Amino acid sequence: MKFKKPAEPAKMQPPMTPMIDCVFNLLIFFILTPSFALSEGFLTTNLPTSSGPVPGEKQLTEVRLKIELFNVGRSGEQEDDGKNEFVSIIFNETQNLGSNFAALRSALEDKRSQGVAATTPILISPTMGCRHKWVVRAFDAAVAARFTNIQFAVPYQ
Amino acid sequence: MKIAKTKSLCTVSLNMTPMIDMVFNLLIFFILTSQFAQLETEEVVLPLSTTATTKDYTEFRNVVINIKNKDGAGEIIVFHRPFTPPELTEHLKQLKESAVGRIMNVILRADADVPYEDVARVMLAAGAAQIQGWWITTEIEKKDEARGGT
Repeated sequence: MKFKKPAEPAKMQPPMTPMIDCVFNLLIFFILTPSFALSEGFLTTNLPTSSGPVPGEKQLTEVRLKIELFNVGRSGEQEDDGKNEFVSIIFNETQNLGSNFAALRSALEDKRSQGVAATTPILISPTMGCRHKWVVRAFDAAVAARFTNIQFAVPYQ
Repeated sequence: MKIAKTKSLCTVSLNMTPMIDMVFNLLIFFILTSQFAQLETEEVVLPLSTTATTKDYTEFRNVVINIKNKDGAGEIIVFHRPFTPPELTEHLKQLKESAVGRIMNVILRADADVPYEDVARVMLAAGAAQIQGWWITTEIEKKDEARGGT
């Protein structure tokens, strides 16, 4: 009698190499593609309505604090190269604060503690060549000192 | 006597080749079709601010105006198209007419080194189109980590 050995079931292991290749492909794709978006914030303001003052019109108010921003060169003076990427702050037409926005904030907070109302208009008057970042910093300083009425001077049309 | 043969169990072996083909198909499909949506924004170096906060802008009809820094001067770009200030006023007026019932809002994304003159021109253009909301976009900076100039 011949006894047949029971045929051993054919074992096959799924080939892992291609699967690993696929997984690594996907992994590399998902590692390389996402980029971290910087958190953008907003400074919210309102533009005056058409019934408000138009550019060039002098607006008379009782008390107004003026922040003038001049674009200067590294020496602190206007330079001829046209770049003038630094700033010089004059607060309330009297105080020259150099480029120190922390001092500007302190000066504004001092005004508040002296009893100046939060609704007092603050006029930010940059020269036309003044960089946008300095204007934003001045706005920041005024908001940090909790003033609520901040105006920008605009050029004559 | 008949002795039943034990049936050999057949193992199902998974044929990997079509699966790999499908995976690669899917991979290529997702690589090619994924678009990183930032339709209105241009690449702009934003100024830093410690008092800026994230806001919910979905209740407004927003227009994102980018001012890119091109050789020290500002270039106004809305939806990847450049504009001059008069064109911008016209465009904003048209948008305002079509935005019935929703408040119009300008979200300004101006480069930090753009001269104030260019920002003021956009402000005047928005004022001429009688748009009231004016949001300046900045990068949020923590107070104690304030950097980038005094």
